[in-house]
Amino acid sequence: MIDTLLSGQLLFAALVTGSLYALTALGLNLVYGTMRVLNVAHGDLVMVGAYAAFWAFTLWGLSPLVAAPVVAAIGAALGYAVYRGIFQRLLAAGASHAGRIEGNSLLLFFGLSILVQNIAALAFTPNNRAYSYLGEVVRIGNVSMTGNRLAALAIAGATCIAVALFLRRSVAGLAMRAVIERREAAYIVGVDVDRVQWASFAIGFASAALAGVLLSMLEQFSPFSGFPFTIAGFIVIILGGLGNVMAGLLAALLLGVIETYGVALTSANLRSVLLYGCFVGALLLFPNGLFSRRRVWG
Amino acid sequence: MKHSTLRRRLLVSGAFALAVTGSAGGAWAQADKPLRLGFSMARTGMLANATPSQLNTYELWKEQVNARGGMSVGGVKRKVEFVIYDDQSKPDQAVRIYEKLITDDKVDLLLAPWGTPFHIAIAPVLEKFKFPLVGNTAASVSLRQVKPGYIWFPTSAIPDRIGVELTAFLKTQNVKSVVVLANILPFTKEIKNHLEPELKKAGIDIKLSSEYPPDIKDMTALLTQAKQANVDAVLALAYPSDSVLYAKQAKELGLNVPFQFVAIGPSDAFFPKAVGPTAAEGVLTVAHWSPRPDWAGSQAFYDTYVKKYGEDPDFLNSALAWMSLQILETAVAKDGLDKEKIRNTISKTTFDTINGQVRFDGVQNAITPTAFVQYQKGKLQIVWPPSIATGKYEPKKSW
Repeated sequence: MIDTLLSGQLLFAALVTGSLYALTALGLNLVYGTMRVLNVAHGDLVMVGAYAAFWAFTLWGLSPLVAAPVVAAIGAALGYAVYRGIFQRLLAAGASHAGRIEGNSLLLFFGLSILVQNIAALAFTPNNRAYSYLGEVVRIGNVSMTGNRLAALAIAGATCIAVALFLRRSVAGLAMRAVIERREAAYIVGVDVDRVQWASFAIGFASAALAGVLLSMLEQFSPFSGFPFTIAGFIVIILGGLGNVMAGLLAALLLGVIETYGVALTSANLRSVLLYGCFVGALLLFPNGLFSRRRVWG
Repeated sequence: MKHSTLRRRLLVSGAFALAVTGSAGGAWAQADKPLRLGFSMARTGMLANATPSQLNTYELWKEQVNARGGMSVGGVKRKVEFVIYDDQSKPDQAVRIYEKLITDDKVDLLLAPWGTPFHIAIAPVLEKFKFPLVGNTAASVSLRQVKPGYIWFPTSAIPDRIGVELTAFLKTQNVKSVVVLANILPFTKEIKNHLEPELKKAGIDIKLSSEYPPDIKDMTALLTQAKQANVDAVLALAYPSDSVLYAKQAKELGLNVPFQFVAIGPSDAFFPKAVGPTAAEGVLTVAHWSPRPDWAGSQAFYDTYVKKYGEDPDFLNSALAWMSLQILETAVAKDGLDKEKIRNTISKTTFDTINGQVRFDGVQNAITPTAFVQYQKGKLQIVWPPSIATGKYEPKKSW
């Protein structure tokens, strides 16, 4: 038992799960953080990304690793279009509507989610889709890793780190964080809030599509498999603190750890109990998120 | 003058009336009217991905029946059309749909929805309206509690039978120890509950028995324990999504056990695509059909399905759907649309299907044996029981 816990195998599994959670939650968090709109269609974008990779692979034999940047770019364009087409006016309506924006956006995204699911079901049939790519097992030390899981970990991890660096180091990233933390103040100091908002939408949609590409290598999917990813994303960002992107990444890794080590220590049947137990516990003790600097008891 | 106009009018309208009643009553015109077959199917929602193999089979059948001039209704051929509603993966929705199909759409015949809970949910509706329906994709010991009369279940993949047969199969392969991993969804949980006592009775050592939830995302911990147990057989009582997760992670961890049984999933064409053909090779699963020379039409069904859809039919669900259509077709050819006669015929007749002979005893198929199939050179072959085997069991070499 101890050997199992200390072996790299579980660590690898935890990292793969965690990094995919992190990538899924990343986009959701950015969009929420900058605009206070909850994208409940986020998981459906993951599903669309998975389909894009699937068709590119089955129709043209295109490697998902090659397709990944293309799909992400298309996702970004889609995010930009949705922002310009739907949300720009809604958000520009001003502070008097601020309370309504969250509610309205929820309805809008919910509608979008139903639309996307059903268009996908009509266009692609509700069949389970899957393909096998990089299925060979690589052994490093005493840890065996399937090629596609290793690739998914590398890409998801690198993307999360890149976005984290972008937020920390670049001027544009600083502007984004400014809007997340103090929206009004950001306006006053001259941050181009509109630009920050469309950029968040673009990054948000792109990361969801990318997560879809990576997931398509690992598991099968159908037009209706997006919703669980939305839920996973919500748990991560609420655990980490809504709008707190960095904390979200840590929370995602924590969930990956709970999911693998928790199961190893107790029983697989307790997976949901552990996940939601930690979630509820964290909400009670740290209502602003696990890694928030502002604790309730001060 | 006036008188003759009136008479002429009377004559014309009389002739018209005659023409109308004549044509409506004539068998000729009825044959012209398509036969309407209604059913609900999960086209959206969480179960939608499981239903295409059944719906595809229905569509293939309709195409073939219409190509040969229609379905025989007591000797008169009538073209077939479907009335389909989406039950959104909700059994209570299916109940409303079947009521509507019977009372509002007034369909001529009913076909089955997908899945056990849906079959059980609509059984009282069929009973209430005395409308017979041949079920297909339902398997559970609880089906035996459904009141017999207007619904029948052709599957032989009933969990308690699976427990007995799988144990017998394991004994012939000299398996001494096993690991049982079970998804807690109803069908696999039922298999586990019936399988483990059988294994114990047969003296097979269950080194590890573990359950897991349907939304499991990673099996590393579970499969590491399974590997350490060092057994002769792994019995993964999985559902489609975790069947792929199991196969992929068993490969990653090198869980090289010769007897690899994965309950649901591998019989569907997506499985070898998802895990890769080498990983699928040698995997055993539940199904009681495979193209077999003794079963008339089985090869033709396989070939036409593959031609139309570009992938294999589901060896469990597609085959069951086709069987149910064959049974209905035979009964309607004999009895026309008289529901009571159809019901009598289905209850008493022995039918020839692509899965061999089928006869119902109450709600259950009394003839088809519970069987297991194995991927051999990319094709599923029946390897148990020997009486209907199309191939010989081979231990799985590696993933």
